[in-house]
Amino acid sequence: MYVIEIEDLYFSYDGKVNVLEGVNLKIDKGEFVGIVGPNGAGKTTLFKIILGFLKPTAGRVRLFGKDIRYFKEWHRIGYVPQRLSVEQNFPATVEELLRSVTTEERIREIASYLHIDLFMNRQFLKLSGGQQQLVLLGMALASDPELLLLDEPTAGLDLHSQMHITEILKDLSANEGKTVVMISHDIGMVMKNVDRVVCLNRYVCYFGDPEGAVEPIEDIFGIGRSLKDGAP
Amino acid sequence: MELLSYDFVQRGILTGLMVGVASAIAGVFLILRRMAFLGAGLSHAAFGGIAISMLLGVDPFILTALFTLLVGNIVQLITSNRRVPGDAAIALVFSGGVALAVLVLGVAKGFSEYLFGYLFGNILMVTRSELILVSISFFLVLLFFAIFYRKLVLLTFSEEIAKLRDVKIGLMNHMLVSVASLVIVLSIKAVGIILASSMIVVPALTALLIASSFRSAVVIAAVVSAFSVILGIALAFYYDLPPSGAIVGGMIAVFGAAFLKRVLSS
Repeated sequence: MYVIEIEDLYFSYDGKVNVLEGVNLKIDKGEFVGIVGPNGAGKTTLFKIILGFLKPTAGRVRLFGKDIRYFKEWHRIGYVPQRLSVEQNFPATVEELLRSVTTEERIREIASYLHIDLFMNRQFLKLSGGQQQLVLLGMALASDPELLLLDEPTAGLDLHSQMHITEILKDLSANEGKTVVMISHDIGMVMKNVDRVVCLNRYVCYFGDPEGAVEPIEDIFGIGRSLKDGAP
Repeated sequence: MELLSYDFVQRGILTGLMVGVASAIAGVFLILRRMAFLGAGLSHAAFGGIAISMLLGVDPFILTALFTLLVGNIVQLITSNRRVPGDAAIALVFSGGVALAVLVLGVAKGFSEYLFGYLFGNILMVTRSELILVSISFFLVLLFFAIFYRKLVLLTFSEEIAKLRDVKIGLMNHMLVSVASLVIVLSIKAVGIILASSMIVVPALTALLIASSFRSAVVIAAVVSAFSVILGIALAFYYDLPPSGAIVGGMIAVFGAAFLKRVLSS
Protein backbone atom coordinates (compact mmCIF):
# COMPACT_ATOMS: atom_id res chain seq x y z
CA MET A 1 0.00 0.00 0.00
CA TYR A 2 1.37 3.40 -1.00
CA VAL A 3 1.10 6.47 1.20
CA ILE A 4 0.18 8.57 -1.85
CA GLU A 5 -1.10 7.02 -5.06
CA ILE A 6 -2.16 9.27 -7.92
CA GLU A 7 -3.55 7.93 -11.19
CA ASP A 8 -4.13 9.92 -14.36
CA LEU A 9 -4.94 13.12 -12.48
CA TYR A 10 -6.31 16.15 -14.30
CA PHE A 11 -7.16 19.52 -12.83
CA SER A 12 -8.36 22.81 -14.26
CA TYR A 13 -9.42 25.94 -12.37
CA ASP A 14 -11.51 27.36 -15.21
CA GLY A 15 -12.51 24.22 -17.11
CA LYS A 16 -10.42 25.32 -20.10
CA VAL A 17 -6.71 25.20 -19.27
CA ASN A 18 -5.34 22.13 -17.51
CA VAL A 19 -3.05 22.98 -14.60
CA LEU A 20 -2.36 19.27 -14.15
CA GLU A 21 -2.75 16.66 -16.85
CA GLY A 22 -2.26 12.93 -16.61
CA VAL A 23 -0.28 13.03 -13.36
CA ASN A 24 0.76 9.60 -12.06
CA LEU A 25 2.67 9.22 -8.81
CA LYS A 26 3.26 6.53 -6.20
CA ILE A 27 5.05 7.46 -2.99
CA ASP A 28 6.09 4.84 -0.46
CA LYS A 29 6.21 4.96 3.32
CA GLY A 30 9.31 6.66 4.73
CA GLU A 31 10.39 8.25 1.45
CA PHE A 32 11.77 11.78 1.30
CA VAL A 33 10.49 13.21 -1.99
CA GLY A 34 11.25 16.60 -3.51
CA ILE A 35 8.91 18.14 -6.09
CA VAL A 36 10.52 20.64 -8.43
CA GLY A 37 9.17 22.54 -11.38
CA PRO A 38 8.84 26.07 -12.77
CA ASN A 39 6.27 28.57 -11.49
CA GLY A 40 2.78 27.59 -12.60
CA ALA A 41 3.78 23.93 -13.02
CA GLY A 42 0.95 22.85 -10.70
CA LYS A 43 3.03 21.93 -7.63
CA THR A 44 0.91 23.74 -5.04
CA THR A 45 -2.27 22.72 -6.87
CA LEU A 46 -1.16 19.08 -6.59
CA PHE A 47 -0.70 19.53 -2.82
CA LYS A 48 -4.13 21.15 -2.52
CA ILE A 49 -5.70 18.17 -4.27
CA ILE A 50 -3.85 15.70 -2.03
CA LEU A 51 -5.07 17.68 1.00
CA GLY A 52 -8.66 17.65 -0.23
CA PHE A 53 -8.83 21.46 -0.63
CA LEU A 54 -9.45 21.08 -4.38
CA LYS A 55 -11.37 18.37 -6.20
CA PRO A 56 -9.68 16.78 -9.23
CA THR A 57 -11.28 17.33 -12.63
CA ALA A 58 -10.49 13.70 -13.44
CA GLY A 59 -8.36 10.88 -12.10
CA ARG A 60 -7.91 9.21 -8.78
CA VAL A 61 -6.02 10.04 -5.57
CA ARG A 62 -5.54 7.51 -2.79
CA LEU A 63 -4.07 8.27 0.62
CA PHE A 64 -2.94 5.28 2.69
CA GLY A 65 -4.87 3.08 0.24
CA LYS A 66 -8.14 4.96 0.65
CA ASP A 67 -9.81 7.03 -2.07
CA ILE A 68 -9.50 10.71 -1.14
CA ARG A 69 -13.26 11.17 -1.57
CA TYR A 70 -13.79 8.97 1.47
CA PHE A 71 -10.59 9.79 3.36
CA LYS A 72 -11.25 11.21 6.82
CA GLU A 73 -8.04 10.51 8.75
CA TRP A 74 -6.49 13.94 8.22
CA HIS A 75 -4.59 13.64 11.52
CA ARG A 76 -2.28 11.27 9.60
CA ILE A 77 -1.16 14.22 7.48
CA GLY A 78 0.84 17.28 8.51
CA TYR A 79 1.02 20.32 6.25
CA VAL A 80 3.27 23.37 6.10
CA PRO A 81 1.71 25.94 3.73
CA GLN A 82 3.69 28.06 1.31
CA ARG A 83 2.71 31.39 2.78
CA LEU A 84 0.42 32.68 5.47
CA SER A 85 -1.84 35.68 5.15
CA VAL A 86 -2.24 36.59 8.80
CA GLU A 87 -3.02 40.13 9.91
CA GLN A 88 0.11 42.16 10.70
CA ASN A 89 -0.93 42.53 14.36
CA PHE A 90 -1.78 38.85 14.84
CA PRO A 91 -0.89 38.45 18.52
CA ALA A 92 -0.64 34.70 19.19
CA THR A 93 2.48 33.27 20.79
CA VAL A 94 4.14 30.07 19.64
CA GLU A 95 2.70 28.23 22.63
CA GLU A 96 -0.83 29.48 21.88
CA LEU A 97 -0.54 28.33 18.27
CA LEU A 98 0.68 24.89 19.27
CA ARG A 99 -2.03 24.70 21.93
CA SER A 100 -4.62 25.33 19.23
CA VAL A 101 -3.66 22.06 17.55
CA THR A 102 -2.47 19.68 20.24
CA THR A 103 -2.08 18.72 23.91
CA GLU A 104 0.41 20.04 26.48
CA GLU A 105 2.30 16.76 26.49
CA ARG A 106 2.70 16.72 22.72
CA ILE A 107 3.74 20.40 22.76
CA ARG A 108 6.61 19.51 25.12
CA GLU A 109 7.70 16.66 22.82
CA ILE A 110 7.61 18.88 19.73
CA ALA A 111 9.36 21.80 21.46
CA SER A 112 12.14 19.52 22.64
CA TYR A 113 12.54 17.81 19.23
CA LEU A 114 12.62 21.07 17.26
CA HIS A 115 14.48 23.04 19.96
CA ILE A 116 11.87 25.76 20.02
CA ASP A 117 11.55 25.81 23.82
CA LEU A 118 13.37 29.14 24.02
CA PHE A 119 10.78 31.09 22.05
CA MET A 120 7.55 29.40 23.13
CA ASN A 121 6.31 32.61 24.75
CA ARG A 122 7.27 34.91 21.90
CA GLN A 123 4.75 36.14 19.35
CA PHE A 124 4.83 34.17 16.10
CA LEU A 125 5.07 37.27 13.90
CA LYS A 126 8.07 38.57 15.84
CA LEU A 127 10.15 35.48 15.06
CA SER A 128 12.69 35.19 12.26
CA GLY A 129 11.72 33.39 9.05
CA GLY A 130 13.60 30.25 10.11
CA GLN A 131 11.98 30.22 13.55
CA GLN A 132 8.54 30.70 11.98
CA GLN A 133 9.16 27.71 9.70
CA LEU A 134 10.11 25.60 12.73
CA VAL A 135 6.84 26.59 14.43
CA LEU A 136 4.85 25.72 11.30
CA LEU A 137 6.67 22.40 11.18
CA GLY A 138 5.82 21.94 14.86
CA MET A 139 2.14 22.57 14.11
CA ALA A 140 2.33 20.08 11.25
CA LEU A 141 3.83 17.50 13.60
CA ALA A 142 1.12 18.09 16.23
CA SER A 143 -0.87 14.98 15.44
CA ASP A 144 2.29 12.86 14.96
CA PRO A 145 1.43 12.43 11.25
CA GLU A 146 2.75 9.67 9.01
CA LEU A 147 2.84 11.95 5.97
CA LEU A 148 4.28 15.48 5.89
CA LEU A 149 3.60 17.84 3.00
CA LEU A 150 5.71 20.98 2.92
CA ASP A 151 5.28 23.76 0.37
CA GLU A 152 8.62 25.54 -0.02
CA PRO A 153 9.68 25.18 3.62
CA THR A 154 13.11 26.75 3.05
CA ALA A 155 12.12 29.62 0.74
CA GLY A 156 13.53 32.97 1.83
CA LEU A 157 15.59 31.50 4.68
CA ASP A 158 19.29 32.05 5.31
CA LEU A 159 21.66 29.16 4.61
CA HIS A 160 21.89 28.07 8.26
CA SER A 161 18.09 27.91 8.63
CA GLN A 162 17.77 26.06 5.31
CA MET A 163 20.27 23.44 6.45
CA HIS A 164 18.62 23.14 9.87
CA ILE A 165 15.14 22.56 8.40
CA THR A 166 16.51 20.13 5.81
CA GLU A 167 18.33 18.10 8.49
CA ILE A 168 15.11 17.85 10.51
CA LEU A 169 13.17 16.68 7.46
CA LYS A 170 15.83 14.07 6.68
CA ASP A 171 15.69 12.85 10.26
CA LEU A 172 11.88 12.65 10.21
CA SER A 173 12.06 10.54 7.10
CA ALA A 174 15.08 8.35 7.90
CA ASN A 175 14.69 7.84 11.65
CA GLU A 176 11.04 8.53 12.43
CA GLY A 177 9.72 6.65 9.39
CA LYS A 178 7.62 9.56 8.16
CA THR A 179 6.93 10.12 4.50
CA VAL A 180 8.10 13.63 3.64
CA VAL A 181 7.03 15.34 0.41
CA MET A 182 8.45 18.80 -0.16
CA ILE A 183 7.98 21.37 -2.91
CA SER A 184 11.11 23.41 -3.45
CA HIS A 185 12.71 25.82 -5.90
CA ASP A 186 16.11 25.08 -4.37
CA ILE A 187 17.16 22.39 -6.83
CA GLY A 188 20.63 22.00 -5.32
CA MET A 189 19.20 21.27 -1.89
CA VAL A 190 16.62 18.86 -3.32
CA MET A 191 19.19 16.93 -5.37
CA LYS A 192 21.50 16.61 -2.39
CA ASN A 193 19.02 15.51 0.25
CA VAL A 194 15.94 13.69 -1.03
CA ASP A 195 15.49 10.01 -1.92
CA ARG A 196 13.47 10.73 -5.05
CA VAL A 197 12.75 13.73 -7.22
CA VAL A 198 9.50 14.56 -9.00
CA CYS A 199 9.89 16.94 -11.94
CA LEU A 200 6.50 18.45 -12.51
CA ASN A 201 5.44 20.68 -15.34
CA ARG A 202 1.68 20.06 -15.49
CA TYR A 203 2.54 16.38 -15.92
CA VAL A 204 5.27 14.31 -14.27
CA CYS A 205 8.34 14.62 -16.51
CA TYR A 206 10.50 12.53 -14.21
CA PHE A 207 10.12 10.55 -11.00
CA GLY A 208 13.16 8.77 -9.66
CA ASP A 209 16.62 9.07 -8.12
CA PRO A 210 18.22 12.51 -7.91
CA GLU A 211 21.08 11.28 -10.13
CA GLY A 212 18.74 10.79 -13.05
CA ALA A 213 16.93 14.07 -12.53
CA VAL A 214 19.52 16.42 -14.01
CA GLU A 215 18.39 16.27 -17.62
CA PRO A 216 14.65 16.43 -16.95
CA ILE A 217 15.24 19.44 -14.69
CA GLU A 218 17.30 21.13 -17.40
CA ASP A 219 14.51 20.45 -19.86
CA ILE A 220 11.64 21.82 -17.79
CA PHE A 221 13.55 24.90 -16.71
CA GLY A 222 14.98 25.40 -20.18
CA ILE A 223 18.49 25.88 -18.84
CA GLY A 224 20.44 23.77 -21.33
CA ARG A 225 23.59 22.28 -19.87
CA SER A 226 23.91 24.71 -16.94
CA LEU A 227 23.27 22.16 -14.18
CA LYS A 228 25.94 19.78 -15.47
CA ASP A 229 28.32 22.66 -15.97
CA GLY A 230 27.78 23.81 -12.41
CA ALA A 231 26.17 27.12 -13.32
CA PRO A 232 23.35 28.34 -11.03
CA MET B 1 -20.73 57.06 44.49
CA GLU B 2 -24.00 58.94 44.09
CA LEU B 3 -23.95 57.54 40.58
CA LEU B 4 -24.62 53.98 41.72
CA SER B 5 -27.58 54.88 43.93
CA TYR B 6 -29.84 55.14 40.89
CA ASP B 7 -31.50 52.00 39.50
CA PHE B 8 -31.31 53.19 35.90
CA VAL B 9 -27.58 53.87 36.23
CA GLN B 10 -26.97 50.42 37.73
CA ARG B 11 -28.87 48.83 34.85
CA GLY B 12 -26.99 51.00 32.37
CA ILE B 13 -23.58 50.07 33.76
CA LEU B 14 -24.42 46.35 33.92
CA THR B 15 -25.73 46.40 30.36
CA GLY B 16 -22.76 48.42 29.17
CA LEU B 17 -20.25 46.09 30.80
CA MET B 18 -21.84 42.97 29.31
CA VAL B 19 -22.27 44.51 25.86
CA GLY B 20 -18.79 46.03 25.97
CA VAL B 21 -17.02 42.82 26.99
CA ALA B 22 -18.94 40.66 24.47
CA SER B 23 -18.33 43.15 21.63
CA ALA B 24 -14.65 43.52 22.45
CA ILE B 25 -13.98 39.78 22.48
CA ALA B 26 -15.90 39.30 19.23
CA GLY B 27 -14.00 42.28 17.80
CA VAL B 28 -10.59 40.65 18.29
CA PHE B 29 -11.61 37.65 16.18
CA LEU B 30 -13.50 39.72 13.60
CA ILE B 31 -10.56 42.08 13.02
CA LEU B 32 -8.12 39.19 12.71
CA ARG B 33 -10.53 37.48 10.27
CA ARG B 34 -10.63 40.78 8.29
CA MET B 35 -14.31 41.15 9.08
CA ALA B 36 -14.11 44.44 11.02
CA PHE B 37 -16.43 46.24 8.60
CA LEU B 38 -19.08 43.56 9.19
CA GLY B 39 -20.10 45.40 12.39
CA ALA B 40 -20.98 48.58 10.51
CA GLY B 41 -22.85 46.61 7.84
CA LEU B 42 -24.87 44.58 10.31
CA SER B 43 -25.75 47.51 12.56
CA HIS B 44 -27.22 49.35 9.58
CA ALA B 45 -28.96 46.18 8.41
CA ALA B 46 -30.41 45.97 11.93
CA PHE B 47 -31.96 49.40 11.33
CA GLY B 48 -34.26 47.67 8.83
CA GLY B 49 -35.08 44.99 11.40
CA ILE B 50 -35.97 47.60 14.00
CA ALA B 51 -38.23 49.36 11.52
CA ILE B 52 -40.05 46.10 10.68
CA SER B 53 -40.58 45.28 14.36
CA MET B 54 -42.01 48.76 14.91
CA LEU B 55 -44.35 48.28 11.98
CA LEU B 56 -45.49 44.86 13.25
CA GLY B 57 -45.72 46.06 16.84
CA VAL B 58 -43.47 43.29 18.23
CA ASP B 59 -40.50 43.38 20.61
CA PRO B 60 -37.66 45.07 18.68
CA PHE B 61 -34.85 43.16 20.42
CA ILE B 62 -35.88 39.64 19.42
CA LEU B 63 -37.07 40.42 15.90
CA THR B 64 -34.04 42.63 15.18
CA ALA B 65 -31.73 39.93 16.53
CA LEU B 66 -33.34 37.35 14.24
CA PHE B 67 -33.31 39.74 11.28
CA THR B 68 -29.64 40.65 11.78
CA LEU B 69 -28.75 36.99 12.27
CA LEU B 70 -30.42 36.17 8.97
CA VAL B 71 -28.74 39.04 7.12
CA GLY B 72 -25.32 38.20 8.61
CA ASN B 73 -25.58 34.58 7.53
CA ILE B 74 -26.74 35.56 4.04
CA VAL B 75 -23.63 37.77 3.75
CA GLN B 76 -21.48 34.84 4.88
CA LEU B 77 -23.20 32.52 2.42
CA ILE B 78 -22.79 34.75 -0.63
CA THR B 79 -19.17 35.59 0.18
CA SER B 80 -18.05 32.06 1.10
CA ASN B 81 -17.95 30.89 -2.52
CA ARG B 82 -16.00 34.06 -3.40
CA ARG B 83 -18.48 35.07 -6.10
CA VAL B 84 -19.17 38.33 -4.26
CA PRO B 85 -16.31 40.11 -2.43
CA GLY B 86 -16.87 40.37 1.35
CA ASP B 87 -16.67 44.18 1.52
CA ALA B 88 -19.14 44.55 -1.37
CA ALA B 89 -21.63 42.18 0.31
CA ILE B 90 -21.37 44.18 3.54
CA ALA B 91 -21.93 47.44 1.64
CA LEU B 92 -25.00 45.80 0.11
CA VAL B 93 -26.63 44.97 3.47
CA PHE B 94 -25.48 48.30 4.89
CA SER B 95 -27.46 50.26 2.28
CA GLY B 96 -30.24 47.64 2.12
CA GLY B 97 -30.96 47.94 5.85
CA VAL B 98 -31.09 51.72 5.76
CA ALA B 99 -33.26 51.64 2.61
CA LEU B 100 -35.69 49.28 4.33
CA ALA B 101 -35.91 51.55 7.37
CA VAL B 102 -36.49 54.63 5.20
CA LEU B 103 -39.25 52.78 3.31
CA VAL B 104 -40.96 51.74 6.54
CA LEU B 105 -40.69 55.30 7.85
CA GLY B 106 -42.34 56.52 4.68
CA VAL B 107 -45.16 53.95 4.73
CA ALA B 108 -45.97 53.94 8.44
CA LYS B 109 -46.13 57.44 9.80
CA GLY B 110 -45.56 58.17 13.45
CA PHE B 111 -42.58 55.91 14.19
CA SER B 112 -39.93 58.38 13.09
CA GLU B 113 -39.11 59.74 16.53
CA TYR B 114 -39.00 56.29 18.12
CA LEU B 115 -36.91 54.86 15.28
CA PHE B 116 -34.46 57.74 15.33
CA GLY B 117 -33.98 57.00 19.05
CA TYR B 118 -32.21 53.83 17.93
CA LEU B 119 -29.70 55.78 15.90
CA PHE B 120 -27.81 56.93 18.98
CA GLY B 121 -29.23 54.59 21.65
CA ASN B 122 -29.44 55.39 25.34
CA ILE B 123 -27.89 53.00 27.76
CA LEU B 124 -29.43 54.78 30.73
CA MET B 125 -32.92 53.86 29.53
CA VAL B 126 -32.46 50.09 29.61
CA THR B 127 -35.45 48.33 31.18
CA ARG B 128 -35.32 45.36 33.56
CA SER B 129 -36.57 42.95 30.88
CA GLU B 130 -33.99 44.26 28.40
CA LEU B 131 -31.29 43.70 31.00
CA ILE B 132 -32.39 40.06 31.31
CA LEU B 133 -32.25 39.60 27.52
CA VAL B 134 -28.81 41.23 27.40
CA SER B 135 -27.59 38.93 30.23
CA ILE B 136 -28.79 35.79 28.45
CA SER B 137 -27.18 36.92 25.19
CA PHE B 138 -23.96 37.84 27.00
CA PHE B 139 -23.62 34.37 28.52
CA LEU B 140 -24.36 32.74 25.15
CA VAL B 141 -21.61 34.80 23.52
CA LEU B 142 -19.12 33.98 26.31
CA LEU B 143 -20.04 30.30 26.08
CA PHE B 144 -19.35 30.32 22.34
CA PHE B 145 -15.90 31.84 22.77
CA ALA B 146 -15.07 29.55 25.71
CA ILE B 147 -15.98 26.41 23.74
CA PHE B 148 -14.42 27.36 20.41
CA TYR B 149 -11.53 29.59 21.56
CA ARG B 150 -8.70 27.34 20.32
CA LYS B 151 -10.41 26.54 17.04
CA LEU B 152 -11.00 30.26 16.45
CA VAL B 153 -7.35 31.08 17.19
CA LEU B 154 -6.30 28.48 14.61
CA LEU B 155 -8.87 29.74 12.11
CA THR B 156 -7.53 33.30 12.38
CA PHE B 157 -4.03 31.93 11.76
CA SER B 158 -4.57 29.62 8.78
CA GLU B 159 -7.79 28.29 7.27
CA GLU B 160 -5.85 25.53 5.53
CA ILE B 161 -4.21 24.22 8.69
CA ALA B 162 -7.52 24.58 10.55
CA LYS B 163 -9.33 22.57 7.88
CA LEU B 164 -6.77 19.80 8.14
CA ARG B 165 -7.16 19.78 11.93
CA ASP B 166 -10.86 19.08 11.50
CA VAL B 167 -12.18 22.60 12.07
CA LYS B 168 -15.40 22.99 10.08
CA ILE B 169 -14.53 26.31 8.46
CA GLY B 170 -17.96 27.08 6.98
CA LEU B 171 -19.83 26.23 10.18
CA MET B 172 -17.33 28.19 12.29
CA ASN B 173 -17.64 31.26 10.04
CA HIS B 174 -21.44 31.10 10.25
CA MET B 175 -21.29 30.78 14.04
CA LEU B 176 -18.88 33.73 14.29
CA VAL B 177 -21.13 35.86 12.09
CA SER B 178 -24.17 34.82 14.18
CA VAL B 179 -22.38 35.85 17.37
CA ALA B 180 -21.33 39.12 15.71
CA SER B 181 -24.97 39.75 14.73
CA LEU B 182 -26.13 39.19 18.29
CA VAL B 183 -23.38 41.42 19.67
CA ILE B 184 -24.33 44.17 17.21
CA VAL B 185 -27.95 44.09 18.34
CA LEU B 186 -26.76 44.35 21.96
CA SER B 187 -24.46 47.25 21.04
CA ILE B 188 -27.34 49.12 19.39
CA LYS B 189 -29.07 49.11 22.75
CA ALA B 190 -25.98 50.61 24.34
CA VAL B 191 -24.70 53.16 21.83
CA GLY B 192 -27.12 53.14 18.88
CA ILE B 193 -26.87 52.05 15.27
CA ILE B 194 -24.32 54.62 14.16
CA LEU B 195 -21.80 53.87 16.91
CA ALA B 196 -22.50 50.13 17.40
CA SER B 197 -19.58 49.00 15.25
CA SER B 198 -17.20 51.11 17.39
CA MET B 199 -17.91 48.78 20.33
CA ILE B 200 -16.59 45.90 18.21
CA VAL B 201 -13.70 47.61 16.48
CA VAL B 202 -12.11 50.19 18.80
CA PRO B 203 -11.31 48.18 21.98
CA ALA B 204 -10.12 45.21 19.90
CA LEU B 205 -7.92 47.45 17.76
CA THR B 206 -6.47 49.03 20.90
CA ALA B 207 -5.72 45.61 22.38
CA LEU B 208 -4.06 44.35 19.19
CA LEU B 209 -1.70 47.34 19.31
CA ILE B 210 -0.28 46.46 22.71
CA ALA B 211 -1.04 42.79 23.40
CA SER B 212 1.81 40.32 23.80
CA SER B 213 -0.34 37.23 23.23
CA PHE B 214 -3.76 36.23 21.90
CA ARG B 215 -5.13 35.72 25.40
CA SER B 216 -3.86 39.12 26.54
CA ALA B 217 -5.45 40.75 23.44
CA VAL B 218 -8.83 39.34 24.45
CA VAL B 219 -8.40 40.45 28.08
CA ILE B 220 -7.11 43.95 27.19
CA ALA B 221 -9.97 44.48 24.71
CA ALA B 222 -12.51 43.52 27.39
CA VAL B 223 -10.85 45.76 30.01
CA VAL B 224 -10.62 48.76 27.62
CA SER B 225 -14.28 48.32 26.77
CA ALA B 226 -15.40 47.97 30.39
CA PHE B 227 -13.32 50.98 31.45
CA SER B 228 -14.76 53.11 28.63
CA VAL B 229 -18.32 52.11 29.49
CA ILE B 230 -17.93 53.13 33.15
CA LEU B 231 -16.07 56.33 32.22
CA GLY B 232 -18.65 57.21 29.55
CA ILE B 233 -21.64 56.63 31.80
CA ALA B 234 -20.03 58.62 34.63
CA LEU B 235 -19.25 61.52 32.28
CA ALA B 236 -22.76 61.36 30.84
CA PHE B 237 -24.28 61.38 34.33
CA TYR B 238 -22.24 64.21 35.82
CA TYR B 239 -21.90 66.44 32.75
CA ASP B 240 -25.23 65.70 31.09
CA LEU B 241 -23.64 64.27 27.96
CA PRO B 242 -25.09 61.68 25.56
CA PRO B 243 -23.84 58.33 26.99
CA SER B 244 -23.18 56.75 23.57
CA GLY B 245 -20.86 59.55 22.49
CA ALA B 246 -19.11 59.58 25.88
CA ILE B 247 -18.53 55.78 25.83
CA VAL B 248 -17.16 55.67 22.28
CA GLY B 249 -15.20 58.89 22.91
CA GLY B 250 -13.56 57.15 25.90
CA MET B 251 -12.69 54.14 23.74
CA ILE B 252 -11.10 56.33 21.10
CA ALA B 253 -9.11 58.24 23.75
CA VAL B 254 -7.71 54.93 25.08
CA PHE B 255 -6.91 53.86 21.51
CA GLY B 256 -5.06 57.17 21.00
CA ALA B 257 -3.00 56.58 24.14
CA ALA B 258 -2.17 53.00 23.10
CA PHE B 259 -1.24 54.14 19.59
CA LEU B 260 1.05 56.83 21.02
CA LYS B 261 2.67 54.28 23.33
CA ARG B 262 3.25 51.94 20.39
CA VAL B 263 4.73 54.73 18.24
CA LEU B 264 7.00 55.96 21.03
CA SER B 265 8.19 52.47 21.96
CA SER B 266 9.06 51.60 18.36
